[in-house]
Amino acid sequence: MTERVAITGIGVVTPIGIGIADFTSALRAGRSGARRITAFDCEGFDTRIAAEVDDTSFDAGSYVKPRKMVKHMSRSAAFAVAAAAMARCESRLLAGDVDPYRIGVSLGAGGMGPVDLDLLAGQGVAAIASARGQDSDELDIPAFAREFRARTNPISMLRGLPNLAAAHLAIQQDARGPNNTITTACSAGTQAIGEGLRAIQRGDADVVFAGGTDAMINPVGVLGFSMLGTLSRRNDDPEHASRPFDAGRDGFVIGEGAAILVLEREAVAKARGATALAELAGYGCTCDAYRITDERPDAEAAVRAITLCLKDAGASAEDIDYINAHGTGTQMNDVTETTAVRTAFNGSGLPPMSSTKSMIGHLLAAAGAVELAATVTGMLHDFLPPTINFEVPDPACMLDCVPNDARSAQIGAALSNSFGFGGQNACLMIRRW
Amino acid sequence: MVATGDLTEPVRAIVAEVLMVPPADVQPETSLVGLGAESIDFLDLIFRIEEVVGRKVPVSRWETFINTRLPGADLSRAITLAIVLEFADQERSRT
Repeated sequence: MTERVAITGIGVVTPIGIGIADFTSALRAGRSGARRITAFDCEGFDTRIAAEVDDTSFDAGSYVKPRKMVKHMSRSAAFAVAAAAMARCESRLLAGDVDPYRIGVSLGAGGMGPVDLDLLAGQGVAAIASARGQDSDELDIPAFAREFRARTNPISMLRGLPNLAAAHLAIQQDARGPNNTITTACSAGTQAIGEGLRAIQRGDADVVFAGGTDAMINPVGVLGFSMLGTLSRRNDDPEHASRPFDAGRDGFVIGEGAAILVLEREAVAKARGATALAELAGYGCTCDAYRITDERPDAEAAVRAITLCLKDAGASAEDIDYINAHGTGTQMNDVTETTAVRTAFNGSGLPPMSSTKSMIGHLLAAAGAVELAATVTGMLHDFLPPTINFEVPDPACMLDCVPNDARSAQIGAALSNSFGFGGQNACLMIRRW
Repeated sequence: MVATGDLTEPVRAIVAEVLMVPPADVQPETSLVGLGAESIDFLDLIFRIEEVVGRKVPVSRWETFINTRLPGADLSRAITLAIVLEFADQERSRT
């Protein structure tokens, strides 16, 4: 039998709580993290709501040494570094416990390119504007170069590199083993944790900091998802805007944050007397290979990701007590996901499946990691996190979504699903240790 | 904002901001590396010094500065504020 992999620490930075204790209380209470956007002036935007991390209670500098490293970090990198520091603290992994070259990082992060507003919108656009000829739309590249260089601090370029969040995490945690960044959109966090599991199983690492991070609540991010028609426009009622599986759903609420889990080889965890929170038992992933944003209506590839995950864990559908849904609250996702789990659990009773995005919002590349954290905390504290804002059932999404209130229940084993643009499907399974 | 007169205080403030340390920790004999500076911080430093001296420093000159006065590849040598100040003064006095 393959050696087990334990989850020995969890750190979260989310719109409903920073640190696992506050996060757990919010999940239990069914609290929404959505509100009117404060990060920028959103007047005139079709969507003016988001689930933001509360900056009055998040001080990146308190997790980083030396403090000046903060200025080199994008917002998403700072979230990841803070979550990793919290996870490490809970795992009680001390320097010297494990060879640094046996400690890896597997991180789901946002899309490539400079998304920091100061870089893209501020300096780049200003440089383009002043370099454009008066009588022509042609861009004068040498003039653009002069303007860009005059306005742009060279260090800002580094904040846009997709792998830098994982690099900062490694610097802070002295993790010198395999360091991988997964950029598979909304399934990135789930795949990063799955690939972290694989890194341990194939012998490349003994400990992996695995999870996801994202911070796209900026004008370009909000406009982009809005123009794709994926965001809720329930601007006058932010707390009730994210309503997965409800007939009145009109899209997701964009969120930001990070979750990092410390994954650890069983023998290593035991040798240092670590407490296992849960077993990371299985992982499955597939791709629709169908259309860019449409999902296969029969959900065939999503079903396969779920069944591969169960098989990987040596489990069957009957073993599953709870599913944390991808559950974005878009029309298409919730219908297709219902089809996927119904098909995968064909013949077995479908366990309760809730969407914590109803509270947390959609954290994009961090979503799967934060949702696995929610699943672990439900297992540890014997409750199923609810799907809040559930009022009117949708006949196309008939399932027990743990409506509105957390439910006391013991979870022996659970799944967490993630699906992403591009047809990404991923599923993780945890088991009580 | 272009600074006039003695550059010591403006440059000291920049170093404190770049390295996120209290200004009082930045003295002429202070090792910037000792305060946590790495290669990329010196690029940040130069960008901000350019703003203070009111002119862009051609890449060739700050490359020389970094590679000779601040050994870019190996920042193990202690770098003091005095060297940075000297660099800033030189740049300002160029015509």
